Amino acid sequence: MRNKAYPFYFVIGALALYLLFYVVPAVMGFFYSFTDWNSYSADVHWVGLANLKLIFGSGQSYMRYISNTVIFTVATIVLKTVIAMGLALLLTKGLNRLANFHRVVMYLPAVLPMLVVSLVFKSILNPATGVLNTLLRGSGLGFLAQRWLVDIHWAMPSVIGVDTWRGVGYIMVILIAGIQTIPVEYYEAASIDGAGAFSSFWRITLPLLMPVLAVTTVLNLLYGLKVFDVVFVLTNGGPGRATDTVYTVIFDEFSKGRYGVATALSTILFLIMIVLGYFVIRLMHRDEVA
Amino acid sequence: MNKLSSTLFALLIVVTLIAGCTPAPAPSAAPAAPAATTAPAAPAATAVPAVTEAPAATTVPAATTAAEPTAAPKSQVTLTYMASQGWIKDAELELAKKFEAETGIHIDYQIIPADQYFNVLKTKLNAGEATDLFGGQSGKTDLKVQYDVEKNAVDLTAEEWTKRMDPLALDMVSLNGKVYGSEIWDVIASNYFVVNYNKAIFDKLGLKPPKTYAEFKAACEKIKAAGITPMYEPISDGWHHVLWFPMVGPRFEELNPGLAEQLNANKATFTGNQTMLLALQQMQEMYTAGFWGDNALSDTVADTDKMMASGKIAMFLAPLTEPQVAEKAYPDLKADGWGFFPIPLVDNQLAPAHPAGPSKFIYSGSKHIAEAKQYLAYLAKPQSLQYLLDNTPDFATLDFSGLKDKWSPNQKEFLTTYPAKTIVYQDAVNYLNPQWMDIGKDLTAMFTGTLKPEDVLKNIDQRRSDMAKTAKDPAWQ
Repeated sequence: MRNKAYPFYFVIGALALYLLFYVVPAVMGFFYSFTDWNSYSADVHWVGLANLKLIFGSGQSYMRYISNTVIFTVATIVLKTVIAMGLALLLTKGLNRLANFHRVVMYLPAVLPMLVVSLVFKSILNPATGVLNTLLRGSGLGFLAQRWLVDIHWAMPSVIGVDTWRGVGYIMVILIAGIQTIPVEYYEAASIDGAGAFSSFWRITLPLLMPVLAVTTVLNLLYGLKVFDVVFVLTNGGPGRATDTVYTVIFDEFSKGRYGVATALSTILFLIMIVLGYFVIRLMHRDEVA
Repeated sequence: MNKLSSTLFALLIVVTLIAGCTPAPAPSAAPAAPAATTAPAAPAATAVPAVTEAPAATTVPAATTAAEPTAAPKSQVTLTYMASQGWIKDAELELAKKFEAETGIHIDYQIIPADQYFNVLKTKLNAGEATDLFGGQSGKTDLKVQYDVEKNAVDLTAEEWTKRMDPLALDMVSLNGKVYGSEIWDVIASNYFVVNYNKAIFDKLGLKPPKTYAEFKAACEKIKAAGITPMYEPISDGWHHVLWFPMVGPRFEELNPGLAEQLNANKATFTGNQTMLLALQQMQEMYTAGFWGDNALSDTVADTDKMMASGKIAMFLAPLTEPQVAEKAYPDLKADGWGFFPIPLVDNQLAPAHPAGPSKFIYSGSKHIAEAKQYLAYLAKPQSLQYLLDNTPDFATLDFSGLKDKWSPNQKEFLTTYPAKTIVYQDAVNYLNPQWMDIGKDLTAMFTGTLKPEDVLKNIDQRRSDMAKTAKDPAWQ
């Protein structure tokens, strides 16, 4: 049932801009992936699948950065959703006074630029002089102090931690909005039937939040797959190459001047994101009447 | 919001746009003081002549045509010059101001953070939009492969100052017999990266400059036992710890004469070279033994002077002029309390001759080539060179003949004790310098145990081969 109040040509302006600045470059990028475009010569030649062979070749370490990206994505989806859900419940059902104040405070990190957040946390997490370790040592918890961003085992968890800290507020706000749309009568009816807190969460809140959770999952998924700035500033893919993700590798290739290879990698990621996004949105609309 | 207010706002926007987009007119009354405007000034409605320094990561495209409000007919040209952080000394900015006072040609310096510089430069060269002058590290690989000087830079062989430049440095800015760049740098004191050691600590523990790696190791153990960090090695910036390896190039060459030439002809590889493998293994050993302190992975180069002054470190790798630079920041630190010896890996006792350095090139597509040549000639005048030398603490000499240098006794002692035979490998071997940061990452992986020394060498060869093939090097076809 389309609302045909506005004729089609109203959309032509926006459509033209969208085509010109989004679709055309994406298609051009797709074609550049099959060339040897680089910074050392002005000519561009078609090389077919040579770039793909380079990326997925036996001597290359693509599994490392792809698995890092997947680990980062899954971890941040789970952490952000769970923590945000907890906070959202707390701030709608738990707290009566100052709920708005707390919501604003929790949301503030999402407003800060990621670059600023990363630089500040780089200083906080410095193993010798950073605030975190100094605090831990000062309060007698020195055994908990780790070499956060430079230890092989702690680098990725630290990056995930910083990203979660920043992103949780955003997801929480979306979930709060979702919870507030659930009619209060359901909860009243449930409490009359003798349902406890956990039951009413599991059987009322969660099922009715499914569409919202689908939205947040898609958002987190796409964000996690294209993560770059937090990794770049905190560790630059280090120590060594332990926290390299797909986009830091693309940036590396671009810096080396191998533009064709970098474009091929980003096209692959683009296709993966389209496929995944499509399926998640299909899931979201599954219950809707067409 | 009624019609009147919206019309007024629209008018205001249009007027501001027009004001911002027209070039600044010459000031009628002499302005009070030239303000130094930082960062991109968007609608620059004020017409203040300024030397714009942008230390933040901005590539300021605005070329303000500011003319000097003095009598004689002066050129109204502005030359744009982009360079990496650290290449432009304050004295040079003063010289630019003097040049402008004499000729009216304004130099617009665009400073870009070091780790982004080459990306920005290559993109601009590729797009055909480089600034009139651009800076770059000299060396044949960089000239040919990174900047493609034969296409992008102006031939400067006929310039007068080329005759006064040090021949080794001149060779670094030349390609196929033609000179393309002007390298005004202290290629000795500022370029020789050697171990600076705290003489007081060494005397207290009864140590002397080591002649072999074994002696160095023993000295480090003694220093560590005394509770002092033997060596300050900041790995966090990604480039400093790489120095250990290519800087002992003269030693590699000493043990395998002709190696650099063979590497360039693709007749030898890094993989399988036992000396190089040993050097890497020794580096690994230094890290694991704790000679670099507990915090090496997050230490930064910026804190070097602070660490020197604190007395908590005994040695660090830096140019011969680092003590002078540190003394300026920490007056209690006496520059002559620091001595020098070469990097002791694989028993090296040679000075790391390193004639390549930051150089200036004129973009071939520039519209002001004559003015740019004029500026380079001005900077290379004996008076300008001496002024630069006298006013820059990290320079002890310049790579031009006929200047009065300012060596300290400790520096002179180093230069006479340790001979310079051949040049360091990042200058002598092709396709090594551009992969500096990648080698840095591999070395960090090696220290943290995820990569073996053999693999570091393999990766170096792989990247050399990739670059050579992309640049269509005949030795790799």
